[in-house]
Amino acid sequence: MAEKAEIAAWLTERIAYFLEKQPSDIDPDVELVELGLDSVYALTLCGDIEEHFGLAVEPTLPWDYPTVHALAGHLAETAAGADAAPRV
Amino acid sequence: MTAGTHLAIMERLERELGDPADPATPLSFSALLAVDEREEFPVTACRRLDELDLHRTYVPAELGGDLTGAEDLLQVIRVLSRRDLTVTIAHCKTYLGAVSVWLAGAPAQAKELARRVLDGAVVSFALTERRHGSDLLAGELTAAPSDGGWSRLDGEKWLINNATRADLLCVLSRTDPSGGPRGFSLVLVDKAGLPERAYRCLPKGVLHGVRGADISGIAFDGALVPADAVVGQPGAGLEVALKSFQITRTLCAGMSLGCVDRALRIATSFALGHELYDRRLVDLPHAARTLAEAYADTLVVEALALLATRSIQALPGELSVASAVVKYLVPTRTDRTIASLAQVLGARALLTGVTGVGGEGFQKVDRDHRIVGIFDGNTLVNLNSLVNQLPQLYRSYWAGTVDADGLAAAATLTTALPRIDGDRLALLSRIGSSVVQGLPALTEAIGAAAAGGDVPAGLAAQAGRLRDAADALHAELTGFRPAARDVPPEDFQLARRYATCFAAAACLHLWWHNRDAVGGDLWADALWVRAALARLLPALARSEDGGEDGELLDALLPHLLAQHRDRMLFSLLPCRLGENRTEVPA
Amino acid sequence: MIETSNASASIAESTGPEALERLLGDRGDASNPVGDAALLAADERAELPAAGEELLHRYGFNAEFVPVELGGRFTSAEHLMRTARAVFRRDSALGIGYGVTSLIAAVPVWISGRADQQRAFADLLLSGRRASACYTELPHGADFTRDELTARQNGGRLLLNGRKDLVNNVGRSDALLVFARTGQRAGSRSHSHVLVERTELPPDRVTFGPRYHSAGVRGCQLGGVEFRDCPVRPEAVLGTPGVAEGTGLETVMRAFQVTRSVLPGMMTGVVDTQLRTVARFAFTRRLYGRPLADLPQSRAVLAGVFADLLAADCLATVAARGLHLLTSQTVTLAAAVKYFVPVLLQDAAYDLSVLLGARSYLREGEYAIFQKHLRDLPVVTLAHASSAVCLASIVPYLPVLARRAWQPDTASAPDALFQPGAPLPPLDLSGLSLTAGADDLAGTLRAAAMLPRVADDPWLAGPVAALVAELDMLRDRAAALPPRERTVTAGRPGFGLARRYASVLAGAACVGVWHAAPPGSFLADPAWASLALRRLAARLGRDTVPAQRRATATVDERLCAELTDRLADGRACTLTAERLAG
Repeated sequence: MAEKAEIAAWLTERIAYFLEKQPSDIDPDVELVELGLDSVYALTLCGDIEEHFGLAVEPTLPWDYPTVHALAGHLAETAAGADAAPRV
Repeated sequence: MTAGTHLAIMERLERELGDPADPATPLSFSALLAVDEREEFPVTACRRLDELDLHRTYVPAELGGDLTGAEDLLQVIRVLSRRDLTVTIAHCKTYLGAVSVWLAGAPAQAKELARRVLDGAVVSFALTERRHGSDLLAGELTAAPSDGGWSRLDGEKWLINNATRADLLCVLSRTDPSGGPRGFSLVLVDKAGLPERAYRCLPKGVLHGVRGADISGIAFDGALVPADAVVGQPGAGLEVALKSFQITRTLCAGMSLGCVDRALRIATSFALGHELYDRRLVDLPHAARTLAEAYADTLVVEALALLATRSIQALPGELSVASAVVKYLVPTRTDRTIASLAQVLGARALLTGVTGVGGEGFQKVDRDHRIVGIFDGNTLVNLNSLVNQLPQLYRSYWAGTVDADGLAAAATLTTALPRIDGDRLALLSRIGSSVVQGLPALTEAIGAAAAGGDVPAGLAAQAGRLRDAADALHAELTGFRPAARDVPPEDFQLARRYATCFAAAACLHLWWHNRDAVGGDLWADALWVRAALARLLPALARSEDGGEDGELLDALLPHLLAQHRDRMLFSLLPCRLGENRTEVPA
Repeated sequence: MIETSNASASIAESTGPEALERLLGDRGDASNPVGDAALLAADERAELPAAGEELLHRYGFNAEFVPVELGGRFTSAEHLMRTARAVFRRDSALGIGYGVTSLIAAVPVWISGRADQQRAFADLLLSGRRASACYTELPHGADFTRDELTARQNGGRLLLNGRKDLVNNVGRSDALLVFARTGQRAGSRSHSHVLVERTELPPDRVTFGPRYHSAGVRGCQLGGVEFRDCPVRPEAVLGTPGVAEGTGLETVMRAFQVTRSVLPGMMTGVVDTQLRTVARFAFTRRLYGRPLADLPQSRAVLAGVFADLLAADCLATVAARGLHLLTSQTVTLAAAVKYFVPVLLQDAAYDLSVLLGARSYLREGEYAIFQKHLRDLPVVTLAHASSAVCLASIVPYLPVLARRAWQPDTASAPDALFQPGAPLPPLDLSGLSLTAGADDLAGTLRAAAMLPRVADDPWLAGPVAALVAELDMLRDRAAALPPRERTVTAGRPGFGLARRYASVLAGAACVGVWHAAPPGSFLADPAWASLALRRLAARLGRDTVPAQRRATATVDERLCAELTDRLADGRACTLTAERLAG
């Protein structure tokens, strides 16, 4: 599973694609809603997250972690937990 | 007249009627909305129209009135219907009542009726009966010979516009007890000449829309009328009525045009002022597209209406086709346009009264307009009429019969036209429709012009698709024989396709003949006609993805917004409205 | 009858669609206080029919949507839908004004309320009192994330400030469920529901009004409410204090799946009545020397509307049953149903109005009820989400459905989805999902196309294949939707796909119902299904008119024969052919 920075880069790339912007235009500390991602659309981001990382996540995750950094941080922790789990 | 001033009567009338947003004017939106809520006849509005001598437009110039051509009436009807359809129905219906006399009445009768109308008399056309609706040959009201050359009227007419308020009624009466196409006569009845007991007016209908209209009835009981009250030849009643219908059904398009202008203006105003998802509604692609489609459909209807109305004088022998196409297609399509605009307004589309939240008056237009498809020959009657003409239509199409001069005159807005002449109208067109039959030649001309770079290639491609669709339709029609009684539903479908084909061809002719005379951005690059065809082609040339008309419609939207901003009629032609222009928001 | 299996045994005799219909009595009886004449009169006065409200109170209508665990009778969304439909057959104003308005307020409480809130709210409803859900703010419409009415903590109280409009019954409801901003941040975590009883609101801090009048359902009392520093208990926030704040939008998105799944099925009752009314006209009115109904075009209209009504009911039934059986897939299905069933119904009503002619325009006389329903239908359509709102909530899910669900090998729905009235498992509200990924209903369409009894049927094969081809096209286009076309602010391409998708789902529902119908029954006859499917395909520009005209005529004849039978037997024109009073 990926590191936070890697996840953030992937998210940035996805969101930039959604918004038809350059990844460099996406400020990882600005809330997604301010970037122009509406509520329902944020939900569909989770579908991509599940597919890409093989992680089951709450669909409302982007509501609760509303920036790229926050979301990446949370996903990295979840992933670490998921990776750790089988070893316990 | 230049095409640029083509709607001069509308402009003048709009100016005279004043700003519809000003409640102090008799034809203001709010005053008329209130009259409707109270279900009152629009007395004040009609009085104002009388003051403006509008009734002079119902009398042909050769009889001392102001009517020079059918387009004058189309414009009047369009202006009034934009304000309030009830007012149109209440006032313009005098033309409907009188037109059969203009077409077929004896000179003395016509002259006398002209004098009465110019004096302000209200005339009504009394055709339908409670039990028979559109089945005119089943009518039971009789006009029987009586002593001294008089005729005696007995029976009832129902759902008759202005039956109660009228001074005179043109009554379709059974003059041969066995009925039949030669068994009816039109009788011009002057209420003033009848004793009180000879007739009684029936209560007005409680209506879904046009709630203030005097749509009532009249029952005659031994009413004696003089022999010269018969309009035209005895026994010619049905024929005269049907010819009158060809004119009035064509003019009904003005009602749809007025109503849709109002509906589109309400929706556009709302979309400009309302925000959703931090954007103006008008900037949301879905809402913007709905508005652009409604605008394109308005232009389609206008082009069809203009060409068909001019055909009353330019192609009178073919009016049986054009009038049926118009009376089916225009109200049906406009009902749909209004319904789509309701989706832009959401709940506001349905609120009554003056709420201050936007959308005022929309629900009234929606209700009012529904009647256009119902009265004066409903949708099914007109489709059935087309079905019966299909054999002539396919034969004439393949024969390539075109009245080129008549077609050019009908389509060229600057061409002066001969007067309306009842003798040139035909119950059924013997040469089909030059509008549709002229399509192959027009397509070739457009193709050649496109090759020379004078016409956008995109338009030539669309014209080619239209021509292919017309060929395919007529190939399907070849050998068609209408059923005498059991008209299968598929035949109605063929008639619908024919009507759509006619409308598309009408747009193309109108554009072609006026493209250099009319200025303005709508005409540049053939924008409006390409958008119009984009709206019509999917129904003709089966395309499973609904066609890619997005860019054309997107390009059309700024013109809608500009006409809205500048208080201009939603139209192919410039026409300034009565709305106050000082309050225009940035 | 198929009906009865849902209601619990003790009350099966006295509740449910047919029992309610019996209570409502003959609608043609001029002395019936809930007959057409009385309903028209109430509509003209812009009042709800008092006798109707009283009757529904006596019947205990609210119990239909209170869960059994809380003392109500709710066990099945389909049963609720069909019971309410009996009311909509009469009067949409009554259906909305008495039932649906409280239902829309109730579902969020069942989803997110604390036990004490659910208990109190259930008691309120079971005693026949009313509730209103206050969502709409005129400047923001469907965009709830911008809603401004605030609920702020202040010295141990919650202060409400702001206004809501176009809320049905707001001036006379006993409880209000208010969607309020509880956080200042933009986005999706700043709103909560606040549940208050009217009696706890200090009268000087709340103003009701103005009343809005509408062209349809004129008896409904749409109004506004304004709160000014209006104090309420902090526990009024729906759910556990400290946890529930900010979950409002999520609750809305789940609750609306339920309400949007059941409301369209109720509305089919309106067109049922219109169809029966116009059919009666067509069978009795003489035109050109014979009954209007003898004209093939009239028969085609009646048959077509009947088929569309059945298609609408198939989709509505599948949606309601889907809440129980495909709970996690309802997010798109509910929106599709709420969009498309009204489209079918309004088009059907228009076609009927053309056939009824001048009488469709009269507010008096034998057929006056028709125009009332004609006015009511658009209002009911717009109630609780316009078509644009519904389509907008499908669009974002299209690409994931294309990728995961519309492939050739996807699962199909269980037969039980397509069996009207068959027993259902309990509705698990916690299983409602906010994401999409599966679409077993579309899978059913693909599976059906492979069945010999479809592929070999000359009437069904063509239209089913057309709809499968449409699904393939949708899959390819949805997958290729550019990003900007995947949001609620999408342009026509996205909306167009959502629109077309809804037609495909309707087709799948029809095929499913036909396939699952007991052999020998009317629903097992391919006639209705083929006509319904053909008309759906035609909406998509995929005409599949049979080569011989005779085939169309035969289908029309079969549907008209069934229609004639149902009119004679006094049975409804919807799927389950309920017996009607009078």
